[in-house]
Amino acid sequence: MLQKPRLRKFLPHLVLLGACAGVAAPSWAVPSFARQTGMACAACHTVFPELTPFGREFKLNGYVLDNMKQITGITTNAQSTLSLNEIPPISFMLQVSYTHTGSPLPDSALTGAYAKNGDVLFPQQASFFYAGKIADNLGAFVQLTYDGVGGSFGLDNTDVRYARHVELPSFGNKDLVIGVTLNNNPTVQDPWNTTQAWGFPYAGSATAPGPAASTKLDSGGIGQSAGGLGVYAWWNHSLYAEVTLYAAAIQGGAHPLDSTQAAVIHGVSPYWRLAYEARWGRNSLEVGTYGIDAHMHPGSGNALAGPTDEYLDVAGDAQYEYIGGDNIFTVTSTYIHERQTLAASVLDGFAANDHNTLKTFKLMGEYYYQRMIGASIGYFNTTGTSDAVLYAAAPVGGSAVNSPDSNGEVFEVNYLPWLNTKLQLQYVHYNKFNGGTTNYDIGPGPYDPAVYAPGTVGRSASDNDTLYLLAWLNF
Amino acid sequence: MKRRTLLTLTLGACVGLGGLAQAQNLANAQDKAQLKATIDNCSVCHGIDGRSVSPTFPNLAAQQPVYIENQLKAFKDHTRGDPNAQAFMWGMASGLSDQMITQVAEYFASQPPPSPEKGDPKLIAEGHHIFTHGIPAEGVPACASCHGPDAAGRGMFPRLAGQHQEYLLKQLLVIQTALRNAPVMHGVIKDLSRQQMDAVTTYLASL
Repeated sequence: MLQKPRLRKFLPHLVLLGACAGVAAPSWAVPSFARQTGMACAACHTVFPELTPFGREFKLNGYVLDNMKQITGITTNAQSTLSLNEIPPISFMLQVSYTHTGSPLPDSALTGAYAKNGDVLFPQQASFFYAGKIADNLGAFVQLTYDGVGGSFGLDNTDVRYARHVELPSFGNKDLVIGVTLNNNPTVQDPWNTTQAWGFPYAGSATAPGPAASTKLDSGGIGQSAGGLGVYAWWNHSLYAEVTLYAAAIQGGAHPLDSTQAAVIHGVSPYWRLAYEARWGRNSLEVGTYGIDAHMHPGSGNALAGPTDEYLDVAGDAQYEYIGGDNIFTVTSTYIHERQTLAASVLDGFAANDHNTLKTFKLMGEYYYQRMIGASIGYFNTTGTSDAVLYAAAPVGGSAVNSPDSNGEVFEVNYLPWLNTKLQLQYVHYNKFNGGTTNYDIGPGPYDPAVYAPGTVGRSASDNDTLYLLAWLNF
Repeated sequence: MKRRTLLTLTLGACVGLGGLAQAQNLANAQDKAQLKATIDNCSVCHGIDGRSVSPTFPNLAAQQPVYIENQLKAFKDHTRGDPNAQAFMWGMASGLSDQMITQVAEYFASQPPPSPEKGDPKLIAEGHHIFTHGIPAEGVPACASCHGPDAAGRGMFPRLAGQHQEYLLKQLLVIQTALRNAPVMHGVIKDLSRQQMDAVTTYLASL
């Protein structure tokens, strides 16, 4: 029996979606902060972008700790009206990468042909940062990125925050920081390295195929497409609580947002975070929970009205750090449970089931010697409800069995000749990709040769195994 | 007329003095706020009461104020340059005025001493002997002769009692290798073995 795709017209989009899903969320540390504080990277980072306890304090206190000469202004009551770094805390980042996959990907235009396997991106990303103090108690991390794949500039991770200490004599004068964050990516404001924006892997290929399914809080497409305003409290250097409300803030395309946009948040979506950190000696241990309740319009040709999809993500996370003089160990883990209620997607023909679940588990262990050479091993596993439309069969990005299940390992060796320069060798191995190990995308065939050129489908999970080399410079 | 002039002058003086007092109050409030903000910054690593959690950062509680002042000035002018001094303290101390350095030193010096750390009794005994008697055969004088019999320090000589063992050991190592510029101490400990360092630092941390 010849197989024909059900959604042939969406094939190029599915392939693209699959490719894009593999892009690790951008996440960096910046020399701007070192310039502002006069402190070396090692004060705030084990190895960038992982934060030390001091780095977490710096972030939660609004990025405002500074030791630079200030341009100041005061009122007659001695209230500060201006406190500006004499030299702006700016910095640059350059990523140059090489990607090689287990098997080449089909040519994007010619049937039966393959794309070149071994893709150099110069740059994968190039970024300009303003990161540091704006005024007393007010600071920002703003990243403008040129994306080497898209060939375009855009506002990348951004977090503007106001924070101040509050005296609470009735609570034994324990330190309390209250803050407000304005950001464009749920979890970019988080001070631990367990969540999407700052989680492992800290960099990954921008061109290799990635699993089709991802929870909203795990590279699920809200980042840089939302604007959030939140409040947080950080008590006694140990207890963190935050609530942030996100609204759609998609860059580019039609504005005001309309049917031509995709995945548009309806109204505001609440994001929450609660975490506890214990510190003893050179150790720190964090356990926490976070989540989002996102109501979204699928858009993509459908009006931004009527029923919405609901994505309810509830997650737990944990992080352990040991920061010795020579040896650094880190373990991070998160589990995200997503309940999808897809009223709008079913209506618009993007999903078959009214309700789906998606569960993601991640675990990473890392060791560094003298912040110079290190190795990491990560495990990832996503499982969920099969859906004949959402995970339809399609070359490379589809699933023959309509399943979102994928799992595998990430291996990394990193060498930092200087604290602001990372040379990375990464290998991603898939045990299962979009529900299968062999012929996962459109099944074993035979295929209609009018639609699929021989040899360009019937892909195995290991065909997507990715060797990735990266030179990552921050200056 | 005379009375009016007198009244005007008196009122003028009152307003002037009031203004001066107000300005003084404002300046005091600003100083106080600045001191608090600085101590908040220090406390992130050293603890609000000068007792730090991580041995990367020394306890400052009950430390000799002169010693704290000297170190902050040495960070500020980069004459103390061991790796952690450069990474953390060169930046942190760069913006501190001499007055602020004195106030910060007084604040931490006035905190209750840190709690003792447990250690191997055998090492503690050996360390105690080195601390109080030195190692005459190797020309190492008794530490107590400068740091005091109870290791509470004296003026420019730091308090060592209750300091993190790992921090003390690190300092001995960076002084021995001259990464930390301390010529007198370098001369005293230049031949100290690792075992002897372990012993004396374990003893000091246990006080």
